[in-house]
Amino acid sequence: MDHILKINELSKSFGDKSVLDNLSINIERNKSQVIIGGSGTGKSVLLKCILGLMEPDSGEIFFNQQIMDKKNRADIDFHTKIGMLFQGAALFDSLNVQENITFGIKKLESNLVNLTEIAVDKLKKVGLDSSVLYLYPSELSGGMQKRVALARAIARNPELLFFDEPTTGLDPIMADVINNLINEVIEEVGATAITITHDMESAKKIADKISMLYKGAVIWTGDAKDITSSNNPYVDQFIKGSSEGPIKINLND
Amino acid sequence: MYRYIYIIPEAIGRSVLRMCASIGSIAIFFYDFVICLFTPPIYIKSLLSQLVRIGYNSLPVIGLTAFFTGGVLALQIYVGGSRFNAENIVASIVALGITRELGPVIAGLMLAGRVSASISAEIATMRVTEQIDALITLSTNPMKYLVVPRVLAALISLPILVIIADIIGIMGGFVVGTKTLGFIEQSYIKNTLDIIELRDVMSGLIKAAVFGFIVAFMGCYHGYNSTGGAQGVGRSTTLAVVSASILILASNYILTSLVFTN
Ligand SMILES: Nc1ncnc2c1ncn2[C@@H]1O[C@H](COP(=O)(O)OP(=O)(O)OP(=O)(O)O)[C@@H](O)[C@H]1O
Ligand SMILES: [Mg+2]
Repeated sequence: MDHILKINELSKSFGDKSVLDNLSINIERNKSQVIIGGSGTGKSVLLKCILGLMEPDSGEIFFNQQIMDKKNRADIDFHTKIGMLFQGAALFDSLNVQENITFGIKKLESNLVNLTEIAVDKLKKVGLDSSVLYLYPSELSGGMQKRVALARAIARNPELLFFDEPTTGLDPIMADVINNLINEVIEEVGATAITITHDMESAKKIADKISMLYKGAVIWTGDAKDITSSNNPYVDQFIKGSSEGPIKINLND
Repeated sequence: MYRYIYIIPEAIGRSVLRMCASIGSIAIFFYDFVICLFTPPIYIKSLLSQLVRIGYNSLPVIGLTAFFTGGVLALQIYVGGSRFNAENIVASIVALGITRELGPVIAGLMLAGRVSASISAEIATMRVTEQIDALITLSTNPMKYLVVPRVLAALISLPILVIIADIIGIMGGFVVGTKTLGFIEQSYIKNTLDIIELRDVMSGLIKAAVFGFIVAFMGCYHGYNSTGGAQGVGRSTTLAVVSASILILASNYILTSLVFTN
């Protein structure tokens, strides 16, 4: 099978607190992979390790069969091949929408007209028009910020897209709009997507495959349609959103 | 009971360790900074905008404080000088005091309050809202994009600001000297020009460059390493201002005693 990303026995702890515990997962090319799991199970830490924002204690990450150590990451310009939608959008406050979207595009390669064109084109893909081009992030609503951030994430036509809780903090309708956008974008760009979420509606809508994280390891992986018939008590409890079951919430954690 | 014997040595040990750790992390940050300073790309546009923000926008604050400092210096020297009938040294001491000492130190401290705080709050906010992570995922080195332009801008701005502060400070002394202390304008100016030498001004400007570096570097360092949300932003801002101020005063003493005593 063609795996764009392979993660082998990744471990990461902070002090004596183990967050990722020999986590392994393979991501199929051109599929939409969703990772679910409770708060504090290490989902964001996993993403940060993949992106190279955090150094894992042990384990390996392979991108297109190539190991992603510091040197290789720089050699292949890993970040130009990925796009990341941060949970809080993480738009640059001091730059306007156009500058935000085209930030990662090398200025030398394209003149100013081109940059504006690219920005308008990406805005169209996320359902916004050119009237927002020169607004600043603080002048946008939360939903619009997410969409601009999505436009920024796809601006370099990445092979691999990461979405960290794309629908958290949005109303259900806006969440659905974002879900649709993600589906369209994945189809159009032809990218592989890895999405972290607690939102089961969203997961069902955008996932080809779903994996569940518990205590820093993957405890279940399967096709999205099988999630309700997994016979895994952890998964069942999570999708039902019940406090009764094998997952115990430690309120002191 | 015996347990309590250990409390004090333990606390001392812990704070010594913490101090060593932060000196180490500042050294690593400085090393990264130097590497980034000498490797492309250089973000000229953000350097220019930081020059405006750090340099140009600090003009009113520094001009005002320099003026009042020069004025009050004239008053105090007059009081002191008249105790041994040496009122005439007012012009000379104001000139030397401002160019060698008070110009750079006052400008440095004002910049520590104004610029360290705002740099650190800005970068810390970028840290907690993941904008720094976003920079990295967009193939931009935050050290080059954020830290280098700010530190360079402060390093360039502060000497220029100090030249202006020197002139305005001496003018403050002149205004007070001639308007309230009754000195004659021509002789005040002559006394000033007679005493000042190039090395007095230069020593002040070299200090200013060092202080400029300290101000921006401390702001960047504490902002960059901020943790713990909004509270962390506040904490890093305080740390930036306090550490920049202390380092300015300490390095001022060291520079003066080692290099500029003649
Ligand atoms: N920089 C850090 N320093 C210390 N501990 C950290 C750090 N980052 C994360 N952690 C710890 O790692 C654990 C997992 O964090 P992570 O952010 O990955 O959770 P998550 O699964 O993304 O949760 P959520 O769904 O709430 O975002 C948490 O218990 C957190 O306290
Ligand atoms: Mg998270």
